[in-house]
This record gives sequence, structure tokens and C-alpha cells, in this order.
Amino acid sequence: MGSNVLVARLVMADIRRHRVQAVVLLLAVAAATATMALGLSLRGASGALYEQTRAATAGPDVVALSGDAGPAVTSALASLADAPEVVAHHGPYRIVYADLTTRDAASSVVVHGFAETPGTVNRPLVTSGRWVRPGGTVLERGFAAALGVGVGDRVTIAGRSYPVVGTAVTAATSVYPGAAQIGPYGGPVDYSGLAWMTRSDARALASSQDLPVTTALDLKLRDPAATDAFRDAHPDLAIRITFHSWQFRAEQDTVILRNSRPILVVGSWLLCFLAITGVAALAAGRAVEQTRRAGLLKAVGATPGLIAAALFAEYLALALAGDALGLVIARLAVPAVAAPTASRISDAAGLTGAAVATATALAVAVAVLSTLRPTLRAMRTATVTALTATAHRPRHRPWLTPLSALLPTPLLLGLRLTARRPGRAVLQACSTATTVIAIVALLTAHVQRERGYGLDGSSVLPNLRGEHDRRLILAVTILLIALAVVNTITFTWTTAMEARTNTAVARALGATPGQVSAGLSTAQLLPSLPGAIAGVPLGVGLLSFFAARNAAAPPPSLLLGAALATLLATAALTALPAYLASRRSVARTLSAETA
Amino acid sequence: MQDAVLAMLAKEPSHGYDLHARLRRSLGPLGESMNRGQIYVTLARLERAGLVVCERADGLPERPERKVYALTPAGQRRVAAWLSEVGWPKPDLAEFHLKLAAAAAARLADPVELVAAQRRELLRRLREAQQTALAESAGSGAGLLLEGVALRLQADLRWLDACERAWSAVDDEVGGG
Amino acid sequence: MSSVAVRACGLVKTHGQGQSRVRAVDEVDLVVPRGQTLAVMGPSGCGKSTLLHLLGGLERPTDGEVWLAGRRIDTLGERALARMRRRSVGFVFQAFHLVEELSAAENVELPALLAGHSLRQARRRASLLLERFGLADRARHLPSQLSGGQRQRVAVARALANDPTVVLADEPTGNLDTAATLDMLRIFEGLRSAGQTLVIVTHDERVAATADRLVSMRDGMFVDDTRLAGSHPRGLGGLIGLED
Repeated sequence: MGSNVLVARLVMADIRRHRVQAVVLLLAVAAATATMALGLSLRGASGALYEQTRAATAGPDVVALSGDAGPAVTSALASLADAPEVVAHHGPYRIVYADLTTRDAASSVVVHGFAETPGTVNRPLVTSGRWVRPGGTVLERGFAAALGVGVGDRVTIAGRSYPVVGTAVTAATSVYPGAAQIGPYGGPVDYSGLAWMTRSDARALASSQDLPVTTALDLKLRDPAATDAFRDAHPDLAIRITFHSWQFRAEQDTVILRNSRPILVVGSWLLCFLAITGVAALAAGRAVEQTRRAGLLKAVGATPGLIAAALFAEYLALALAGDALGLVIARLAVPAVAAPTASRISDAAGLTGAAVATATALAVAVAVLSTLRPTLRAMRTATVTALTATAHRPRHRPWLTPLSALLPTPLLLGLRLTARRPGRAVLQACSTATTVIAIVALLTAHVQRERGYGLDGSSVLPNLRGEHDRRLILAVTILLIALAVVNTITFTWTTAMEARTNTAVARALGATPGQVSAGLSTAQLLPSLPGAIAGVPLGVGLLSFFAARNAAAPPPSLLLGAALATLLATAALTALPAYLASRRSVARTLSAETA
Repeated sequence: MQDAVLAMLAKEPSHGYDLHARLRRSLGPLGESMNRGQIYVTLARLERAGLVVCERADGLPERPERKVYALTPAGQRRVAAWLSEVGWPKPDLAEFHLKLAAAAAARLADPVELVAAQRRELLRRLREAQQTALAESAGSGAGLLLEGVALRLQADLRWLDACERAWSAVDDEVGGG
Repeated sequence: MSSVAVRACGLVKTHGQGQSRVRAVDEVDLVVPRGQTLAVMGPSGCGKSTLLHLLGGLERPTDGEVWLAGRRIDTLGERALARMRRRSVGFVFQAFHLVEELSAAENVELPALLAGHSLRQARRRASLLLERFGLADRARHLPSQLSGGQRQRVAVARALANDPTVVLADEPTGNLDTAATLDMLRIFEGLRSAGQTLVIVTHDERVAATADRLVSMRDGMFVDDTRLAGSHPRGLGGLIGLED
């Protein structure tokens, strides 16, 4: 019991002393776990949104669709409603294919002719305004949002002007822009929005311009799961009928999220990696202090287990706090991320248990991986050695050192600083490579050309899937760059602090502050160079796993420019901590080391 | 001095000249100021006390010196007693201590000033001893003796530091009160 | 060439602010002629290390002037100060402050390389210096493989690498045992007789006694300035009482 108190006290004291480090660790873990949890929850969240919408709108279990209209079609569909498995139905109703224009945009639209009083199946949920009335139209919410119109605006459908009297959502069609479930006469479908009118308005619309019309029937089955069986039981009717089950609808909803999951999951791995490198560098920077503390604890009789616990508990506590924060963020972001269109009710999408568990495991892994070495070292080091621990005393000469004598002073200092900590150089290289990978992904996403959702692929109505992907990549990239920035500053500062005696000696021997800070910057830039160069092919390679076959590649000059920009940014970022470190009083540093 | 001369005769009877040379060898540069006359005066005293006997021997042609000195049994007992003796020269700190106290009491002089002057003097001596010691080849007997001298002086200087601190504090009290 | 190596006039250095403001060096005037060895003694915190840092341009005075080899240095910019240190000042520290990942020889080469000499020149100079201090066979060792005394000898060799106007030593024997201290005494005596201008801050009387001149500091001020050289007050025999 007492040892728990001791561990808690040590952890609290240490966190208080290293607030900035604690915050960095917390935020890094939060970013990684939030992204991971989001990525893993998308599929489940999308399903949940569909389920919820289906429940709220009395969504049909099966929609029977015919690519034609007319009495024969209507009676054939109506006969399905009499099937023994069917407990309720809606329709058959008319679907009119038309063009809809607003002041700014034009789009294909399918118009469903509905009763003014909804039936027992497929009762669209009115989200604003009211339900259809003669002369007025209700737009599907996702469609209305994409068009930027609301209740009270007017839209022109097939040349006729209609006031928008309301917006609604339904589970009977796919999310915007997948409202056209089949094309007229079984032909291909365009990206279309959905609008509702009264039956008579729909009929009038269709006949006035001789527009293509199809027919649909919504069915509720006794056993909602038995949709396949129902379809198989009705293979041969007089006309060709397409059955869309609710499971198929739910599946279709995730198509728009096809790229989101890899973006978030791969992004979270990269974030994790950066978090580990950054936190490991922070932990290594404090290795001496922690080794000394471990020695102190051993000297007063603490067991190695207790020491490990004290060292590890701090990182674990912070990582778990970061995990909790990340999960809260993910929970808040999930409805928006899982439903890029407004076509579903989106207030109750949560995280899946598996996602929470994985994200938490990830946070623990970050804590373990980044503190493994210092913890082991602190446990192993003999008590007396630990108590007298001072800065790292090399026993062998880094091989780069002799070479550096031939170089100008800043490069000389930089190379020697790099050679001193090869492990950190590798981390810096990896950190840079990760940043470049993210930027390559961002650039690639931005050169893709996809069909817009407007009429004939016009991009007046943008492709929401592409937009969504780009937005997610942008968010992930911003997080990655933010972490990489923190890492670079941390690396530079840690290097500067560890090398402070040596740089102070160099200055006492006559190196200028400029030379010293250029040396510190160089120490970070040297490993960044191979990192940036490797990042481009790594990024291209990583993307090739997920890209569509016809994906466009950004021009090589752009990619090289990105790598170069990353290097320049690294140089700029290292400049400030290097400058600050080089301005420290030489006299004070050297005197402090004596004591 | 007497005891050292006696002990040197314990090995074998010697000329005064040899004794002088041997003493100087052991003392190195510190023995430079010692003249032969001192040796003869000492030997004469020892002879009167019956601790050594003087025998005439054939001198070398170029040296008229013919006296060879040897220990008597009483002299041998005296040497044995000297070797087993654990007496140690007493550093005479009391005198300086009393000088400071007297100077302060009678307001004859500032004790701190006296300490500083004494310190300067000891430092000069230390410097001299040290330079001489460093000029000696390592491991010579004289080097070891000089090292001892330097360490003594260092100890004395530290005591002077203590005196200075103490008397400065007294000054401050008087000045402050 | 000026016959004065180091000169300070009205030197003041304060640390801290407001109530906790301390005058570490308080109105110090000092002239060190070329070839003189000067020892500065005083209790801990008397400002002697700060004085050394001021003289070597590691810290800037709050007030007053510092001249080195006829050039005023307290008004120089950081970069010019660094250049000045390269050529004119050699530092020896209590904690040695060798660069731990460089071999002894590379440590000694460092100032020459910083001053822009060729690697070959730097090597030659370093091997001469290491030879002079009996470290020829230790040239390729890392500091961690050397004893304290050897490390400090490397540090002295490094301080001399650019043939500086003045060598500034801050408690050079503070971390050494008796035998290594004797070694350092021999080295300082050698530097003195070779005419190297030397300022040693120390609290070891024996180190101070190698100098030609001794100043004592209290509370940032000089309280005593003694010439130790050239006086034979009593002759060597007097040291052991042979003259009684």
C-alpha cells in the first residue's frame, strides 16, 4: 500500500516538474488514439447511423424497383405486396428522373411521388419545414445541404419552379448522391439527389415533359433479416424487378467512406510512430536524472520492481490520460466523420468497443516503447554508479568523428553531435520521413480528378467523397506535422542540453554562437536529409496500396519541392532552440558542471 | 643536530669532512647554508661529553686533516635512545597567537594586518621551498624533505586563514558595535 | 606588442536583480604584465571565478574595462569575442571540460582547427604539446580512459594549442589528488619559467605559491596584492631551522 503511495507521489512530483513534457506526451497520444479510434469506428458508426435512420423513418426491409412505369408494372409490383412474408408496404410509387437547378448549381434529381400523409412504411423524417403539399417539394437533407438551399428557397425541376417546403431523411435510398437506385429502363445511374412531391405533382411533372419514370415498392417483411430469401422466392415475375435490401443500403452507405478508414488508420500508425519517437527522445533526455533517481530509491531500499513501476507509471498515466482525451475527441468527431453527407440522422454514432480497446492498447504501447530503454537502464545500473551518474560518457569513439575534422566548424560540430547520438539521428530521420509521407499523401489527394456531383459531372457540386478524403488527409497531415514540429524542437533542445558542456567548451575555445547554433541545426538536418529523400518513395509506395488504378500521381517536381520544403522548415525550426541554446552563458554552464 | 651527527658515526668512524659531505647530500639544497665549521663545533662538544672519541690517522698528503671520529659506548646508547624516541618538533604557534592577542588588546597593531604580513612571508617561503623541490629530481631524499617543508607551510597558511577569519569577525563586531 | 597582457580597470560584475543583487566583482583594477604568473585566492564565492571569466571574455562586465594584449574586449560582439578567445586565451577548468567523445589528441587539436589552421598543423602542434606533458602514448585515448591528472594535462595542452597571450586556470587542481596536484605544480612552474602569462584562480596555497604574484579577494574586491618572486628572505636553510 505504502509503495503505491510512494509511486503516486513520485509520479505527481515528476509531472509537476516536467509540465511541458507531460503536455506533449498527452497531446501526442491523444492525437494518435483519436485518429485510430475514429478510423476503426467508421464502419460501425456508419452502420449505426443507418440503423438509427431506418428506425426513425420506418425504413423498408426491401425496395422492389422496376425500370419502367405503367399499369402492368404497377400491378406486378402490387402483387408482391400480397406475398405472405410481407407485413406492410408502401407504394407502388412513381420515381421521375429530371434535372434540378438552383441559382448556382444544377444536378440530376429523382422525384418520389408520395402521399401527403405518410403510410406505415418509409415515412421520411422531416428535419425542417413540413412534409409535401401540392405545388411544394421536400428535398432530401444531404442533397439540400450540397445545394445550399433550405426551406423557403425555390428550385427549378425540369423547368418548373417549386418552393422547398421542407427537408427530410429516409432509409429507403442510399445517401446523397446515390438517390437514383436504378436507371430508367435498367440503364446506368447518374449522381442524383432526392426530392419528394405529392403523387399528383409527380405525375404532372413526368407527363409535362415526357420525363423517364420508374416505379418502386417499399416492403416490410415479417422477418427483416430474411431479405435474401424473399428475393429468391420471387424470381420470375412478368417484368424485371430489382430488389434492394436494407442490408445492401447500409453497405452502400460505407462506399463513400471507402478511403476514410485507411487514411485514419494508417495516419494513426504514423502519428503513433511520431509520438513514440518524440516521447522516447524526451525520456532519453531525462535518462540521467531518472537513473540517478533510481539509484537514490535503491539506496533507501526500493526494489527494482518499485523503481520500474515509478518510472513507468508516469508515462503510463500520461498515455492513458491522452488516450481518454483522444477517445472523447473521437467520440465527438465520429458523427461528422462517419457521415460526410447529411443524409442520415447523425446524433448517436459512438465508438465501437474494439476501437476503444485498440486505441487504449496503442496508448499503452506508446508508453512501453518510449520508456523501455530508460526504465531498463535505470533498473540495471548499480546503485552507486547511478548516484554518481553524469552525462553520457562514451567509451568508444563514434566513427564519424575523425572525418569531421576536415569540415568547416559548424559542420564539424554538427557531425560530431550527430555521431554522438546515432539513435536519435535515426529517430529524426524517421520523423522527417513520416512528415514527407504525409505531405506526399496530401499532394496526391489534391491532384486527383473525380466527377463532380453536378449535372454531367460538373464540379459545381463537388464530389463529397473526394472532399471528405482530402479533408481527412489534411487533418491527419496537420496533426502529423504538428507532432513532427514538436519532435524536431524536442530533438534539437535535448541535443543542445546534452551537448551544453561541449558547446560551452567549444565557445570557451573560441567558437562563435553562430557556429554553435549552426552546428546544432546541422546535427538535426543531417539525418533529416536522408529522411526527406526516403519519404518521397515511401509515401508513393504506401499510397499505391490504397489508390485506385486510375489514380493520378503528383508531378515529381512537386514531390521534390515538398521534400525540400520539409528540410527548409526543419532548418527553420531547429534555428530557434539552437539559437537560444547557443546564447546560454558559457561561464554559468561550465561552473554548474563543476559543482 | 648533535643526534644526527652521532647517528651518522654509527655506521663507521669518519672524518669531519666526510660527515659534512654526507649531511649535505641528505639535505640537498637545504644543506647548502651549512658550513664545515658547524660540524667541528658539534664534534668538539660531543667529544667533551664523552660520546665520541677522536683518533689521529694518517692524512692524505693534500689534506692535513687527520682526525677520525668514532662513537663511544655511551655514544652508541645515545644513538639507540634517539632512534626509539618519538618526540616531534613542536610548531610554535602559541607565540604568534599571543602576539595577535597582545596586539589587539593593547591596540598596538591590527591583528588582521599582522596575519596578512605573516601570510605573505609564509607564502614566499612556500614558493621557495616548492621551486627548490620541483627542481629536484623525483624520488631524491631531499625532494621528500622539501615536500614535508611545503606541507608544513601549507598547514600554517591554513591556520593563518583561520586566524584571519576569526580576527576579522572580531573587527566587524567592534566596528559594528 | 604591448608589454601588458591583461588589464582591467574599474571592473564590476553584478548578478541577480533587486534585493538579491550581488556584486560578484566590485571595482577591481588589475594589470598583468606579459610573462607574469598571477594567483588569485579567496574563499568560495569571493568572485574570483567571475573575475577569470571576465578576463577571458566568457562574461561581460557590468561596468569597467577589460584589455587583452592591448585590445579592449568588453565592448566586442559575441563573434569577435569568440575569435579573440581562439587566439589569445587558453582556459583550464576544474572539471577539465574535455570533449568526451574526442581523443586526447583531438581535444588538443580543437582550438587550432577552430582558429582555421590546417589539420596537419593542428596535429603537429598537438603531438608536440602532448609530448611536452608526457602524454605521447595517451594521444589516442578518450578522456574516460585517462586519470584525472592526465585529463588535466590534456586540458593544459589544449589551452596552449594556439599559443595564447594568457592562460586562465580556474581551480585547476580542485578535482585532483595529491600526486596529480604535484604534477600540475610542476607544469605551472614549467609554464612560469617558460615566460607564459598565467592567471590561476585557486584556493590551494601550494598552487598559488607557484605564481610570481598573489592577489587575495574578499567580497569581489582585492584585499591584498603580494609579490612572491625574487625575495630570499632567510635562505633555504632557514626553512628547516639549520641556522640555530
